[in-house]
Amino acid sequence: MKVRVDETKCQGHTLCAMAAPEMFELSDFDGHAQAVTEQVPSEMEGAVRAAASSCPEQAVIITD
Amino acid sequence: MAIEGEKEAPVHFDRHAPGYIDAFEDITHDLHARCPVAWTDSYGGHWVASGYSEVFEIARNPTLLSNDHDVTGTATGYQGISIPPQGREHRTRGGFLEMDPPAQQDYRRILDPYLSPAAIARWSAMTEDVTRAAIDARIETGSIDFVDDLANITPAVMTLALMGLPLTDWVVYCEPAHAGVYTPPDSPDMPRVTEISIAMGMRMTESIADVRANPRPGMVDGLIKGDVGGVAPSDDDIRDTLMLLIGGGFDTTTALTAHSLEWLGDHPDQRDRLRHDLDRLLGPATEEFLRFYTPAPGDGRTVTCDYELSGRKLQERDRLWLSWAMANRDPSVFPNPDVIQLDRPGNRHTSFGLGVHRCIGSNVARSTFKIMLTAVLKRMPDYVCVPDGAVHYDTIGVINGMKHLPATFTPGRRQGPSLDDTLAAWQRVIDDEQLAAPITRASATERAS
Repeated sequence: MKVRVDETKCQGHTLCAMAAPEMFELSDFDGHAQAVTEQVPSEMEGAVRAAASSCPEQAVIITD
Repeated sequence: MAIEGEKEAPVHFDRHAPGYIDAFEDITHDLHARCPVAWTDSYGGHWVASGYSEVFEIARNPTLLSNDHDVTGTATGYQGISIPPQGREHRTRGGFLEMDPPAQQDYRRILDPYLSPAAIARWSAMTEDVTRAAIDARIETGSIDFVDDLANITPAVMTLALMGLPLTDWVVYCEPAHAGVYTPPDSPDMPRVTEISIAMGMRMTESIADVRANPRPGMVDGLIKGDVGGVAPSDDDIRDTLMLLIGGGFDTTTALTAHSLEWLGDHPDQRDRLRHDLDRLLGPATEEFLRFYTPAPGDGRTVTCDYELSGRKLQERDRLWLSWAMANRDPSVFPNPDVIQLDRPGNRHTSFGLGVHRCIGSNVARSTFKIMLTAVLKRMPDYVCVPDGAVHYDTIGVINGMKHLPATFTPGRRQGPSLDDTLAAWQRVIDDEQLAAPITRASATERAS
């Protein structure tokens, strides 16, 4: 599983980092998110799916 | 034949009506089922978007919808985010919330470094201490009004701290910030509310002049030194912006806290569950209270170009209401939407808005709310709300708020100095440590190392 944050959609709601704090880091300046790594460790897949489903902007993009 | 909810077949919808608060769920599900985007004749006619997918589709499209409020009537003629619009005699722009990009984005760039998650994390010790002092003032008596004695205080102090203004000024802003929202124009209390609102505006003008003369860190200083389209904002622009931040920072968090405490008081089993599993549940419970109570129920927009949405034809200059509150009850996204589920998964609620106008204070709102809720659960875990004592706003067209929430509990011990002494001590810390400075590249690097 791979994950990225679409920066054109992210508005800094921070819900992805609440769902999967190990996988998303937030900008110190505006709270916009990016994935720590593109490749998702298998034990993190559930948390990353939860992050994607809780994003109000649907900016967390998962690809297999 | 016209489709129901088209302009030729309008629906009735008046969110300012006194009975709306009690009929909210029925109205919401009726609109979802019949016409998730509908034309209503109220307030000069406007669209109402209530379905989640409809709100999601259009709210994130800044070229379709405009927030612009042309107060002089010399440009777009658009009327901003209020439906009905402000009266003609005292029109003021609601800061950058009534602007479109690129100017709106310039303001966000100025203010984001004061309000980002990293910026807000620096304030948790002060927020906890102010909350402690507010609770201390009532803890020995065994009775509290959660609105007057707690939920009005911490968000107000926190907002002033972020702006870089004297903490003790919270009392100047608190009452007009709340009463100005819930007092109807024809109320006998209106002259008093007008008077304290004028006093608030005068204090704000003085404070901007004071920070200009004696610069000290905070959002006021950031705005004074800021760059919007190549020029610094005027004092009027700064005052409008600060009024927006006060409007967004005070009444909304108070409303969320009061409603959550009322629900937890009514559901002591859920309150105990939350208290015993705070580490796991506080985050999702906060999002669920945000979804369910949606303190700011919606925003008006102006349609900028013809657009078809769910078979209805939006036309340029039409007014449109984006209902965050109704989108948050759409069963296609939130199973059992009218039930509070503290650990609800996938809770992509719209309570902070969607798109480029996402609530700029969402991080401070969450932090302040969580600190107040945690303190109540720890220090007065057996509180009981006084039967029939809660006073909700008569109309919830602007903010879904509460005026009072009295409760009783087993008395406890004070834990520290009074609120006045606490504010004085924190004012010294803020001044000495420049706590209200924005996050900069240097401070971010220091934090990371």
